[in-house]
Amino acid sequence: MTDPTDKAREEFFSEAQEIIETLSKNLLALDASLREEFSDPGLVNEAFRAVHTLKGLAGLFGAASMGMLSHRLEDVLDALRLGRIELTPSILDVLFQAVEVYGKVLAAEKDPDEDAAPLVEAMLAEFDRIGAGATRDQSPTAEYDLDPGLLAVLTEYEEHRLRTNIENKMRLYRLRVQFDLATIDKALEEMKERAKRHGEIITYLPTGETASVDSIELDLLLASQDDLAMLIGALGADNVVIEEINRRNATVMPGTIKPAPMLRSRATSLPGKDEELQPLRMGDDTGLEASGSLKSLTQTVRVDIHKLDHLMNIVGELAIVRGALASISERLREEGERQLGAELQRLHRSFDRRLSEMQDGILEVRMVPLGQVFDRLARVVRQISRELSKEIRLVITGADTEIDKLIVEELSDPLMHMIRNAIDHGIESIQQRQEVGKPAAGTIALNAFQKGNHVMIEIEDDGRGIDEQALIERAIKSRKIASSDAKELSREEVLNLIFLPGLSTREEAGDLSGRGVGMDIVKTNISKLGGVIDVHSEAGIGTKMTITLPITLAIVSALLIRVGGQVFAVPLSSVSEALAFDASGVHVVDGREVMTLRGATLPLCRLDRLLRVQDPAAAGMRRFVVVASMGTRRLGLIVDHLYGQQDIVIKPLGRSLADVRGFAGATDLGDQHVGLVLDVGALIEEVLTGSELSRERKMYADG
Amino acid sequence: MAEIVAHSAAGMARRRGTRDFLVFILAGDLYAVGLTRIREILSPPPITPVPRAKPAVIGVCSVRGLLVTVMDLRRRLHVEEQPLTRRARILLVEAQSGEVVGLMVDEVRHVARLADSEIEMATSLLGGDVSEHVIGIGRPVGDVVVLLNLSTIVSA
Repeated sequence: MTDPTDKAREEFFSEAQEIIETLSKNLLALDASLREEFSDPGLVNEAFRAVHTLKGLAGLFGAASMGMLSHRLEDVLDALRLGRIELTPSILDVLFQAVEVYGKVLAAEKDPDEDAAPLVEAMLAEFDRIGAGATRDQSPTAEYDLDPGLLAVLTEYEEHRLRTNIENKMRLYRLRVQFDLATIDKALEEMKERAKRHGEIITYLPTGETASVDSIELDLLLASQDDLAMLIGALGADNVVIEEINRRNATVMPGTIKPAPMLRSRATSLPGKDEELQPLRMGDDTGLEASGSLKSLTQTVRVDIHKLDHLMNIVGELAIVRGALASISERLREEGERQLGAELQRLHRSFDRRLSEMQDGILEVRMVPLGQVFDRLARVVRQISRELSKEIRLVITGADTEIDKLIVEELSDPLMHMIRNAIDHGIESIQQRQEVGKPAAGTIALNAFQKGNHVMIEIEDDGRGIDEQALIERAIKSRKIASSDAKELSREEVLNLIFLPGLSTREEAGDLSGRGVGMDIVKTNISKLGGVIDVHSEAGIGTKMTITLPITLAIVSALLIRVGGQVFAVPLSSVSEALAFDASGVHVVDGREVMTLRGATLPLCRLDRLLRVQDPAAAGMRRFVVVASMGTRRLGLIVDHLYGQQDIVIKPLGRSLADVRGFAGATDLGDQHVGLVLDVGALIEEVLTGSELSRERKMYADG
Repeated sequence: MAEIVAHSAAGMARRRGTRDFLVFILAGDLYAVGLTRIREILSPPPITPVPRAKPAVIGVCSVRGLLVTVMDLRRRLHVEEQPLTRRARILLVEAQSGEVVGLMVDEVRHVARLADSEIEMATSLLGGDVSEHVIGIGRPVGDVVVLLNLSTIVSA
């Protein structure tokens, strides 16, 4: 680390990372502008500039594959800038892909085990493909009188198929078909089957023009070598209109995109344009001339978070020094050295104040805006909504809310999962939305704000909501709850069923028409960060998930307990209460000790036995029950003693202890001693999982 | 010589001809590891046992804020264990994963500078049935020292 070249490389990585993030933001803004039907040349310029800077950086550090990638990407962007290539969503896809590849290349530069070369190769080939279109000045698809709106929504694969078919001299046909909504699934399949015999269906899309409320019109794009008459003979019907798409000689106007009527009608139906996702414009429009400079524009220093951890540790040690100072000044005064004692006392107070300022300062440095992860999510939303052919409006508020850097890193997967669920299961298809009078574009709101010592993140959609009845049925069917219990569940409890592990698998999610895909994992990950998720849902109106997180992981409140003669810390976020243990209230159900707590059954765990740290001295003494909870599951931990609450700094256990389950880390307890921090989630999992099934099976047999 | 060069690639970065070793005692016998791998030698601070960890793990302790896993080198090498005395020390070494691990030894003796000619590599030892943790035998004047391979010892 101290090696100057290492340091420079670190700088290079973070600088490159930052530029790539800027590039990604630019592309998102381009994407938004594409949908808004206005093309902002400034955005392409900025992207070009970012890549140009990257190229320079790569050259300086001898990062060959990154240099090559940047060089070629620069060409593509240059062509876009000059209007030689038309900016289409599929071109944007390629650009987004390049952002991903950059990430891999950077990882490979850091870790020699990674190999990004094949990715770079593939990417360069992709650039070639785009570039090839550019040298011919237009893509083969442009020779056809194709609806640009249709072209704009083709997936990469579809576009590739279209190209291949054109290159193979196939003719293109448009089949406009009216389907009855009630039978569309079957009818469409039949239509596809029949058309397949004559060629390839490249894509099909709703036209957005419906003759009546219970029918829907689709355009099928068919490539076939048969002529029109033959196709009409084979596929023609009352509800089918077949037209050949003619070749045209006119050149396509580059640079602008004219959305099809279909697309425009969707775009104009977006309400509240002001709150539209617009955060992505970067900086000011300084000229391209400024681009060559590698000088950093910001007055910031990038720091490895471990260095901050180190500083935090030093603060911890200073706190121990502070304690020693206090006791010395105390002793001095007791021994009659009043004046000296008082002076030391003053010094101690001032030291104390500065120390807590320093601690706050270091914590503040660890904070980063949530916008970092939100930008990544915006990219995901774009990708998923295109995959699923849904129109999604992402509204972000509070992207500047700050949270611990380590939390931000761990948040991105769970959030991505939840957003995917919201788009996949929450937001209805365009047709369904129109039928119930909702705007065609589904809205997903991502709100973040600070509330005391916590950060709240809300993910809200205006989709169909969670089907509670289906959820209950599913839970009963997969034996998570007994049918007799189902009636007694509160609404909140019903909604929380989505967090049960294994409630629904991917295959089942479709008929559940709700959430549940891996939500248990999401919940576990959030819990690991000391956070909780709440669900609210209204049928037909939408679903809101609220995540509550601590602002920092560096310091958490914990309950200190003793068991087997050893002190352990239990994060307070997973403790709901603690009470005196009454051995006479213990029942044994199915070989498991339980007690009744305010009418509910609480499974118990003798922590000393579980951890095998029995302390004979504690036998016969008064004990306590710490009620630990994780999601909907609760477990009473029987402990020997409660010491009270303390703010602790959790440090992860070393890799050599990676196989030890049940501990989230360790913490300095002062006086040189270290206490282990219990991983409540893991303990609950361990204690309840094995036995829960058998118990429930029994409940089934009984009921 | 070729053999020695091959071994240096496998774990012993050596300077020309000689190398420094830290010599310590385990169950009455002399052992040594390359001095460059040792970050620090500590008097044992209070160590918190970690339930469910492997038997060789004594526990965790805090070294000026750094959380360190302490292993009993005697148990790791399956040599006879005697109660620790106040001469016991912890050697802080950095594992290949970057983790700092503490190794408890009975007593630290001194630093020995060994010439190549005083080192007998494990592969040339008789029988070949030598623990993977042993690199070879050092023979400074009048002594026999078992040279240990830290890389295999501290990789979990």
